[in-house]
Amino acid sequence: MRRRDLFFLGLSSAAAACRKAARRLYVYNWSEYVAPETIPDFEKEFRAEVRYAEFESNEEMLAKVFTGNSGWDIVFPSNYFIPPLRENELLQVLDHARLPNLTNLALKTPPWDPRHEVSVPYMIGAAGILYNPKLMPEPASWASLWDERVRGRITMLDDPADTLGAALKKSDLSINTTREAELTRARDELIRQKPLVRAYLNAEARDQVMAGDLMAAHLWTTTAMQAIGEAEHLRFVYPREGYAEYCDNAVILRESRSVDLAHNFLNYLLRPEVAARIASHTKTATANEAAWRLLPSELKENQALYPQGETAARGEYFATLPASTQQLRDRVWTEVKAA
Amino acid sequence: MKRGLALYAAVAYAFLHLPLLILAAFSFNSSKYTVWEGLSLVWYRALWDDARLLESAWNSVLIGVLATIAATAAGTLAAYATWKRRARWLEGSLYLSLVTPEVVTGVSLLVFYQWVFRFLDVRLGLHTVVAAHIMFSLAYVVVVVMARLKTMDRSLEEAALDLGATEWQTFLRVTLPQLAPAIGTAALLVFAISFDDYVITSLVAGVDSETLPMVIYTMARKGVSPSVNAISTIITVSIGIMTLTAERWRRA
Amino acid sequence: MTPRFWLLLPSRALMALLFAAPMVIVVAYSLLTRGAYGGQGEPWTWENYARLLDPLYGEIVLKSFWIAALSTALCLVLGFPLALFIARARSRKTLWLGLVTLPFWTSFLVRTYAWMFLLRDTGLINTILLGLGLIAEPLPLLYNDAAVVLGLVYGYLPFMVLPIYAVLERLDPWLLEAAEDLGAKPWQVVRRVVVPLAKPGMAAGSVLVFVPCLGAYLTPDLMGGGKSILIGNVIQNQFTTARDWPFGAALSIVLMAIVMALLWVALRKSRGAEGGLL
Repeated sequence: MRRRDLFFLGLSSAAAACRKAARRLYVYNWSEYVAPETIPDFEKEFRAEVRYAEFESNEEMLAKVFTGNSGWDIVFPSNYFIPPLRENELLQVLDHARLPNLTNLALKTPPWDPRHEVSVPYMIGAAGILYNPKLMPEPASWASLWDERVRGRITMLDDPADTLGAALKKSDLSINTTREAELTRARDELIRQKPLVRAYLNAEARDQVMAGDLMAAHLWTTTAMQAIGEAEHLRFVYPREGYAEYCDNAVILRESRSVDLAHNFLNYLLRPEVAARIASHTKTATANEAAWRLLPSELKENQALYPQGETAARGEYFATLPASTQQLRDRVWTEVKAA
Repeated sequence: MKRGLALYAAVAYAFLHLPLLILAAFSFNSSKYTVWEGLSLVWYRALWDDARLLESAWNSVLIGVLATIAATAAGTLAAYATWKRRARWLEGSLYLSLVTPEVVTGVSLLVFYQWVFRFLDVRLGLHTVVAAHIMFSLAYVVVVVMARLKTMDRSLEEAALDLGATEWQTFLRVTLPQLAPAIGTAALLVFAISFDDYVITSLVAGVDSETLPMVIYTMARKGVSPSVNAISTIITVSIGIMTLTAERWRRA
Repeated sequence: MTPRFWLLLPSRALMALLFAAPMVIVVAYSLLTRGAYGGQGEPWTWENYARLLDPLYGEIVLKSFWIAALSTALCLVLGFPLALFIARARSRKTLWLGLVTLPFWTSFLVRTYAWMFLLRDTGLINTILLGLGLIAEPLPLLYNDAAVVLGLVYGYLPFMVLPIYAVLERLDPWLLEAAEDLGAKPWQVVRRVVVPLAKPGMAAGSVLVFVPCLGAYLTPDLMGGGKSILIGNVIQNQFTTARDWPFGAALSIVLMAIVMALLWVALRKSRGAEGGLL
């Protein structure tokens, strides 16, 4: 148990002094993104203490990080935030000499950071459709979620990027489009769909699909895997028009006071055994190829987590969009919600 | 009419507490889901292993107590002074703080703190949360105490002053005792608001200062683990017992 | 330094430092432009306010007002008798009061989830009704405006009860007896004597309920299933997903201005003998 330090200015300085003595690392990650033994094993091997906390959204994490004085050493932003973080000089340039395990990665030249200068890909996620085959046929196309027969029995993600993305894909458009006409079209599609949607939910939909309240839910792979783990008759599918992907990356913040230890941590995460343990515990798709090879076959061949060939080709990564587009998309989303 | 009121009160309390009872009931459910599967203490045992949950609960209590003491004291004094003679700017700012959406308060404080921290070697932590809580609770104290002050008889104070008491003595011996129930009510309100706050706290909390609502929010977004039910039940029962003992002690 | 100076100092310092200064920043933000990736910077502009002239936001504001007003009215109607009961209780007042605030000791989120559990299609209420044969299909109790109002009333009822109680508690029982002696029925006594005297408490409670309801976003989100958007959601959006802090700041300022105006009007109409906050 941690000591309960009483605070106020004086003690903060004392605490800061103490902090320099012990080797400590502050890691801020998405929830449920490590295995139970990941952190303790690291602490033991490197004789350090890791202060580990979790966040639920990029924005929540960024609000603190953007100010340059958040206290974190390592955070895990999604790929489309790497360019802005970099531009605002918030990221530490990585020393590849200290990251020999980089070669284990599957994503060798990610578009947002081709030479891994500031980021190390960690987990890949995507959004598709979780459905109950006992209640409905496979929704092979996004249009299935616009079908009258699912009225009141489906949910869509309460996330403008993903849900607008779904509507755009339904019309065979890019999820990263900047054209107003295309976004308006997506808006109209969503407004048309709205009476059929029970609610706009994220992870909360999982329990309802499992309970049979819902026929299908627009969900992320992680959530879907959890549901299928507990209710094996459920299935997950990537519609044929395509789907949105994103990649969460580990970065070291420029404000970090433990750069060496941070590099050790990143290299540790890149070890095949470590990454494989994490991936099989969290049921998320690791970006580490060497680790993927170590996975049990039911995970390795899981088409939802590790889509192959043609399915994989249908995925499109979210990109960083210009300010005017973001404004437009926000307005469109507000219009959909207010309809 | 007394019976009618009592009956109504019973229904109202039932409405208020129904979710709590359900929460408590399911904290004893051996299944993780909302399907009853049998009595079990497994979630309570799991609590001991969840250091994060326990630590955040402690943080919430600590913050609540400190914020309550400070806000109630400052607010009562301010309400009293304002009642005697208007303090336009203070009243205006208190009003505004009530009217500001929580997310705006939180964000503005975050930005302000970060700006200040450039000059001091301080980071976000429990202290930033306590300060924020005191600030946003202040208006509530003033409103509640003021509402009571307005029904108070000024002549009592005047009489005391005429009889030779100083202003301070008058306040202590005449006014304060009359205000005591309102102050108690205000304190209760502040603690409740502080304990329950999520939005502002999550924005200004530091790396080591998670509160219970923050942890619960994280857990609940993924489908509630009954450990959350368990700790909620424990807290509710503890506060319930505290309230009962306070009442007994008051009457003794 | 007069005693008054010292009495006011803590509050003034707190508000100046932790409210006024940050507010200045918010106003400044509302006049800046959104940075390329969130954040904010030059140029200074009125554009954020101009965007608000769009009828889309007017609609949203109106709906938010309607829901907040409805919730406040319900809290008033439901909370007043409860406050009266506690005030008139001969014994164990702390207990009754404590029970009113007890729900706060459980996290708001957990309570809301408990309600969702009750109201869902396969939730407790529907299961019972279906089991009793009173309905053939589950009632859609959740994910609509009524559920949102329910959630708001449930969450803010104590805010109404406590101030009203604080005022009623002071009520002179002789007044009520006198009224009864003069032939008034209990109902009339309440209506003609108690309610007017409780006005300051009711006003205080109404403010404490209306304003948070107006800016609420967690409850509409959870109980409403994200299907309708209120002004609190829009603002919250700007500071999170949309990352348009200047626009969010402008929205907040305008919202605050509208509410201040309303409160000022209400204040003028019900001016008490003594001034001060309400």
